[in-house]
Order: sequence, then C-alpha cells, then structure tokens
Amino acid sequence: MKFFFIVLFLIAAAAATAQGNYEIQVYGADTVAPGNTMVELHSNFTADGQTRTIDGVAPTDHAEHETIEITQGINDWSEVGFYIFTLEQSGEGIQWVGDHIRPRVRVPEKWRWPVGVSLSTEVGYQRAIASPDTWTWEIRPIVDKQTGRWYFAVNPALERTWHGPDVNQGIGFSPAAKISYDFTKQITGGFEYYADYGSITSIASLHNQQQQLFPAIDLNVSPDWEINFGVGIGPTAATDHWIVKAIVGRRFDWGHKNRAE
Amino acid sequence: MKVPGTYFNVAGPLPDGSPTRRSFLRGASCFAAATMFSRQANAAIARSSAGPLPLETQLQNPPTPPDYRLEIAEIEWELSSKRRIRTAAYNGQIPGPQLRLTEGKPATIQIVNRLDHPEIVHWHGQWIPVDADGSMEEGSPMIPAKAGTTVHFTPRPSGLHWYHTHAMANRDLKRGLYCGQFGVLHVEPRVNPGLYDAEQFIVLHDWEPYYSSSDDGSLMVNYVASSINGRMMGHDTPIQVHEGQRVLFHIVNASATEVHWLALTGHQFQVLALDGAPVPTQAKVGVLRIGPAERISAVVTMNAPGVWILGETRSSFRNAGMGTVIQYSNRSGVPQEPPMIKPYWDYRLFGNPSPVVNKPDLTIPLVFTSRFKGHGALDQWMINGKSYPDTDPLILKEGQRHRLVFENRSVDDHPVHLHRHNFELVSIKGAVTSGIRKDVVIVEAGTTVEADLVANNPGNTLFHCHQQDHMDSGFMALFRYA
Repeated sequence: MKFFFIVLFLIAAAAATAQGNYEIQVYGADTVAPGNTMVELHSNFTADGQTRTIDGVAPTDHAEHETIEITQGINDWSEVGFYIFTLEQSGEGIQWVGDHIRPRVRVPEKWRWPVGVSLSTEVGYQRAIASPDTWTWEIRPIVDKQTGRWYFAVNPALERTWHGPDVNQGIGFSPAAKISYDFTKQITGGFEYYADYGSITSIASLHNQQQQLFPAIDLNVSPDWEINFGVGIGPTAATDHWIVKAIVGRRFDWGHKNRAE
Repeated sequence: MKVPGTYFNVAGPLPDGSPTRRSFLRGASCFAAATMFSRQANAAIARSSAGPLPLETQLQNPPTPPDYRLEIAEIEWELSSKRRIRTAAYNGQIPGPQLRLTEGKPATIQIVNRLDHPEIVHWHGQWIPVDADGSMEEGSPMIPAKAGTTVHFTPRPSGLHWYHTHAMANRDLKRGLYCGQFGVLHVEPRVNPGLYDAEQFIVLHDWEPYYSSSDDGSLMVNYVASSINGRMMGHDTPIQVHEGQRVLFHIVNASATEVHWLALTGHQFQVLALDGAPVPTQAKVGVLRIGPAERISAVVTMNAPGVWILGETRSSFRNAGMGTVIQYSNRSGVPQEPPMIKPYWDYRLFGNPSPVVNKPDLTIPLVFTSRFKGHGALDQWMINGKSYPDTDPLILKEGQRHRLVFENRSVDDHPVHLHRHNFELVSIKGAVTSGIRKDVVIVEAGTTVEADLVANNPGNTLFHCHQQDHMDSGFMALFRYA
C-alpha cells in the first residue's frame, strides 16, 4: 500500500489536464474477443468548464457529452471500434458532433509477452462546434500489466490534425496512464491521468497544457458488463476544471464463447 | 516383448500400435544421448528397494529385472510439421510408453530421472501402498535429480489407468502436468466388460500453456495447441476401421487443466467403464465429457462409412489440434468434423437409478471455496476453509464406509481425485445414483456430489483437484487413517 500512495503522489504531482471530453478512457491492451461486440456508452458531464465560445467552439461548462462506442472483435489480436459523438447543452438540445473509426491490433496473449501491448489508430471527423480541428488522426501505443491486485497502463498517444488550425502544429503528444488496485474481485479503484502537451516539437507551456487526474473506480460485476466511474480534476487554465465521467459497456458474444468455456 | 538395452522396446508398443520411422529415430537418438549421459554421470545415487546404487550400475544391473523401464528426460517433440516443443517426457515419446500389467501380478518399474530436478511418478487409479503411489504429500519418496529408483507394486484394480508426474508446477508452466510426463497404464482385467474387435488408446493433452485473464476475474491457464496421442490433428496417422467393426476406445484426459468434450459424427459411444471401473448401465451417448485425469472406455460400432474426425466439439480446441481422423476402409475424402452439439453429460446415465443401499458409518463434508488474489493472480483454493498444507487432517476409519460430501461453492468446475482408492457416486446435484465407481469426479460449480469411500487401503491418502493450477494453489487435503 505504501508503494501505491507513493505512485499516486507522483502522478498527482505530475498531473496538470484533460483530453477531449467525449471519450475519457485509458486503454488496456486487451481487445474484444473474436466475434464479440462491445457496446459502450461514455457519459461525461463538465461541471466546471469553459464558459465562453472560443474559435467557434461551444462552451463546455455544464455540457453533457454522450458517446456511443461499438467495438467488434475480429480475431484474437484485432478489433475495430466505431464512435458516435454527441453533445447536449442547455437550450441547444442534442447535437451530433462527429464519428471516428478505430482499428486496433495487439500482441496475442499466447505470445506470452511479460506485458500487454497493443496499437490503436483512430481517425475521424468532428464538427467545428466541438473542436476547431475537424479531421484528426491519432496513433496510440498501449502497454499494460496486471500483476496480482495491481494494474498499470500507459497510452503515449500521438495526434495529428488533418484539417483545422492545428494542421501546422505537427504531431501532438497526448499521453494517458492508469494505476489501479483490486480491493475486491468486484471493486477496483485507482487513478487515471490524461494530458495534452501540444506539439512534440514545441511543448506548450504548463498554462496551455491540458492535464487532468481522475480518481476512478471500476466495477467488475459481470464478465458481460464494464462499468467505470470517475471525477476529473483539471488544474491548468486550458483544462476543464471538473468533469464527471461514466462508462457503461455491455459485451455481446453472439454465441462465440471463449476457448475455455 | 522385451529387448534388454533398448528402452523403447522395453516400454512396449506405442499407443497407435507401432513405432513410426520418425519416433524410432527419435528414440534411438535419445537412447544414444542417454547412454552417453550415463557414462558421464558420476556419483549419482539411486534409491531403490535394493539400496542405493550408482545410477549407471543400476541401469546395467537392476536388482530385479523390471517389467518396464521409464526414463524421464527433456525431449524435442513434433506436435505437427510446423510446431515443435521442448518438454520432459518418458522414454523420448509422447505419450509415454503404454504399460500393460496384469491385475494381481506383482510388477516392477524402473524409473530413471535424467532431469536436473527431482521428479515423482504417480500410478493414477491404483490401490497400492503409499511408498509406491507417487505422491510426496502422502510420503512417497521423490526421485532425486539425475538418479533412479525402482517401484514395486501389485496392480489393482484392472482397467484403464494412467501414470504421470505428480510434481508441483507452481507458476512454472513447463513443469507438472503441463509437460509431457504422462502415459497409459492398462491393467488387464480378468473379464472384459464388453465385446470388441479392435482397441484404440486416445490420450488428450494441451500444450504451450500461458496465463490469461478469465471471465470470472482471475488468471487462468490457456493453451496454444492441443493433441491426441501427442500429435495435432492432421499430423497423425488416421485410425483405420472397417464397417461393422466394434472399436473400443480407451480415452485418457491428460490435460493439466482442461475438461474436453469429444464426439464422432454419425456414431455413438457405448460407455463400458469410467476411470477403469465397469459401469452398471452401458448407456450410449453422442458426446463424451472427460475431465482432467478422467478415463472413459467406450465402444463405437462403426456403422457410418466415411472419413470422420474424432475430436473436440468446440472448434477452438479442434483448430488447436484436438482431433484425429477415423477412416473407414476404401473410403477417402475430407474428414467430416464433429457437429456443433449442445454438450450434455450426466454420470447418472451410467449408474443404477436406485440409491446406494449401504448406509455410511461417517460423513465427511468437503467444501470447496476460493479466495480472490487479484485479477493478475491465480485464486487461492481451500477445502473446508483452509489451503494445503495448512488443512486440517481428515480421518478415515479402516473398514468403514465414509460418505464424502463434495460441496463446490466456487464458480469453477473441479475434477477432484482421491489417491489409492475409488469411491461410489451416491448423488449428483441431489439426484441419487449407485454403482458408478470412480477416482475422479467433476463437481460442477455451485453443486454438490456425494460419494461413498470404503477405507480399505491404510496409509496417507491425498485428495485434490486435478487441475494443476488449483492443486498448486492449495486445493489439496490429506486423509489419514485413524
């Protein structure tokens, strides 16, 4: 436990904000099982965010972002995810924001690597009301490790804008990380860290970086369900200061049982 | 037939009846290597009933000419033309040599351990003394690294049994039953329970284990490959049959952890014996469920000419190699896979519907539970709330009938095994039966099985789940005679 708190302290010390408020999740290396479909609803409410319209982007304060993510397992080393982003603001109703597609490959478990490794790439469009950069691409290496009750994951993601004001920024660096501990079989608690440091060739000042730390909990109530809940704190000016996030996922195996079943 | 000096001959025929050129060459090279090693071995001491002797001396001049000789050594084995593994095995072959003994006729087995760690061989299903049984928990001696021993026992009961390493694997997935140390032990019965024209031995195993996250939240062992008689499907010799022939399949599940379901399209299995013991009702079934360490002897009447696959009903295991081709004479073509059948198995099909008549003298509850140790760890297993070796002793009274009540409160099925005895199934999930004698029974998750044990073989008696990862994580207990 002592180690746990030391790591938490280090993460907290490094924490500075947050990525887009549509999908707030640190990826693990696992992919959805072959023939299975995972349907997730990401619900993110910005309790204290940007109150002004900046560069045509709607304020985030008190905005509710609902994202539907559908992921199809292809084989034991790949999956494809598809996103539908929506935004709900007072007086504006529900608005479609955009869609992304995200293929992902992993090192199969049977290769017996000491850590889980996968590589995700995500490309898609979002309307200018949500982001001035309307076409973006991301590549996300994922490394994770579950050992005993501890879980560690890092996602040093790289982003590239294809259309929008950040086209000339080049490649941006948006890492995420997670550490958690299995308190019981059903309850896992820990911290998730999200950041956007700006261009890798010109790291933004701390003031302009997005950094966010989420104390989060995972509920492992059933192999068919995924439940994650967290509250994010964004200490920098460029970050929404308080976000409440929830992920509820349901796995459908369509009769494709795992090997061991 | 025995030919001194060539262990693959001493060991008897391969399960498929005759050695292939490849296995002969492999055996010959292993023998040459073994001989070379023997010459280099220095001061290795063997434990034997005749007293310690240098290993080389014992190999050349065993105190009692053995009926069989087993040599444990690392080998490279070809599961298929594309998949070779390195594992420990008996006499350079997988499965190990088939040992055919006669019930009631004393047997002598010489064992040489060429590995650099101690080993032990368990004679699974035999009612023999502790010294010979092959379980260090009971007090059987281990065979030290690079040493030998000789085991003497009088085989009983008859039927299909097997022998295998009883060493712990712990987290080493190259040890214990994850490796190739297993083989068929067939004790010839005085009377055959059924008529048959041909006999085929089928030994199942899973290979290249790795840890994987499981649906129930803890680590589990998964496998890359599976085999029948040491070969992946498509890389063995088809079993040739004739129309109208009655083929007796002797099936052993030597997997470290996996329950397997087997089917042969268009055919039915008439089950004659479970764990070597004849069953009261020789029921016919389309699918066989066989847990780790279980044995099934079943006759198939070959009445559907064609080319078929005898294999796992689940495509994932079949694709990993668990299948073998059954080919009728004068038939050719693409082998037909087993159908997708909803698996069903009930031991009671093979028992008497009436309950066990004799009342138990004592009842011993055995409650199986697990303790979560993290999503990245194996569960800790407990019997009556305690993990081996911290379990309370379970006391048997000689000559008395003990009702063992296996209550599985976990979410996993467990193939539990009792050493040196067998038991009669009394009830399964509350439904009574009688006449089925076994030494391994699968207790399904959340259910209770009752079985009667007559304590007639004094000495420490190990009871454990036969899934290697479970027994290594505390799922064992020792019965002691009062």
